[in-house]
Amino acid sequence: MNIEQTARRLRAREISAVELARESLKTIQAEQPRLNAFITITEETALEQARCADEDFAKGIDRGPLQGIPYALKDLFDTAGIRTTGGTKIFADRVPTADCAVYEKLRGAGAVLMGKTGLHELAYGITNNNPHFGPVRNPHDPSRIPGGSSGGSGAAVAAGMVAFALGSDTGGSIRIPAAYCGCTGHKPTYGIVSRYGCMALGNNLDHMGPLTVTPRDAALVMDAIAGYDSRDDSSIATPAGDFWRDSFSLRGVRAGIPENFFTERLAPEVAAAFQAALDRAKSAGAELKPIRVPDPEALNVIGRVILMSEVSALMEPYAHRRDEFGPDVIALIDQGRMLPATDYINAQRLRRRWQRDWAKVWKDIDILLTPTAPIVAPKIGQTTVLLGEQEEDARLASTRLVRSINVLGLPALSVPLPVSGLPIGLQIIGPPFADNLILSAGGCLA
Amino acid sequence: MTDWKTLAALRCSDIPPDAVARIAPSLDALEKNFRPLAATLTPTDEIAVTFSNLQERAE
Repeated sequence: MNIEQTARRLRAREISAVELARESLKTIQAEQPRLNAFITITEETALEQARCADEDFAKGIDRGPLQGIPYALKDLFDTAGIRTTGGTKIFADRVPTADCAVYEKLRGAGAVLMGKTGLHELAYGITNNNPHFGPVRNPHDPSRIPGGSSGGSGAAVAAGMVAFALGSDTGGSIRIPAAYCGCTGHKPTYGIVSRYGCMALGNNLDHMGPLTVTPRDAALVMDAIAGYDSRDDSSIATPAGDFWRDSFSLRGVRAGIPENFFTERLAPEVAAAFQAALDRAKSAGAELKPIRVPDPEALNVIGRVILMSEVSALMEPYAHRRDEFGPDVIALIDQGRMLPATDYINAQRLRRRWQRDWAKVWKDIDILLTPTAPIVAPKIGQTTVLLGEQEEDARLASTRLVRSINVLGLPALSVPLPVSGLPIGLQIIGPPFADNLILSAGGCLA
Repeated sequence: MTDWKTLAALRCSDIPPDAVARIAPSLDALEKNFRPLAATLTPTDEIAVTFSNLQERAE
């Protein structure tokens, strides 16, 4: 289900929003037992919002391309009157009294909420093997993880249950499920989408963004959800709308190809798909520029110190309820509690230094191309992967190429590459606020 | 090498010893990678606790 095409069908009166919502519900009900993509299905809300969208169409009110389009929210976006669990037993019965900023905007745009999608507990992990709500499964192979933590959102889009879904990305949690499920995932520049009303994981690293079928669709969602919000201290005013450049071409675009880190220890099928993407970029007129980037491995370490400290500070009031957390999550909370405050402060100082070093990178290139993940989706329960002769923790491998970008706050997009086997993602990274550049470039390379 | 068991007993006494033993290798690995980075900091390296890309745009 593609937003652009579906919006055209709605306006041509080929289908009504209510009919579309019913089609979406039918697919959700058929796929839910196989994939477990949803924690809550909001059938009543969906049909009510679809009726409103149809009434607006009938009155000639056009709220934009998302009007009447079925979508889902990761179950950490607050929705008044609809439970929002964060994927944890601790908040299993939590019903917010107010909407988050993103839901306010999507309601205003006339989009139709089909439900709340499954996630890794607290969004603190990438497997989505949730001990409280069950594992979310990959639509391409249900024995495999969808990636996370926005795995339910990735699975729901890839399986055609909804046209788009919202996710959060603190260390790759939009881009990893996009890569493993075979859809588009956009982590916007830090600050341009309000975090207000979203359950926080790491305040300084959390980004809210869309998972969609195409980069063009992601731009349409961004047009609706971006904008300054005084209720979010990190919110930044950006020029209104326009996350897509019509008639965009890669001709003359300086595409950086990392010589270090991002192209090391890749599974053979990922390396081959990445090389094919570079060949396509070159054929499309991009200028490929080999480049050494400031040590992303160090940034991953800095990011882990910041994240573990922030999560443990947030979860401190609940840490005594040890048995109610999954074993992997309580282990991470414990680790964060053991870190001294000086480490957190120093990690933030190091972050600033790396941010300055990376700013220089954009003098020589316009975008940076990397694989999104060095591997394809692991099996559920698989803990390690073999890359060459080296065994690597499957979770650390999944986040290896994406986490550093959260520390820098840069915009990054994962687009699915044309492969015959399990999905593989291409990551396109840009300088701050170049979201429309990476989305448009993604449209040329997906 | 940090004695995590003693540290946990002093700072986070609710974390059971077996849980400390399980996370100690991860903490050791993090220390091994983070300490050398932190050692490079100088007094001119400012803190960026309130992160903002506005700083980036200004540069």
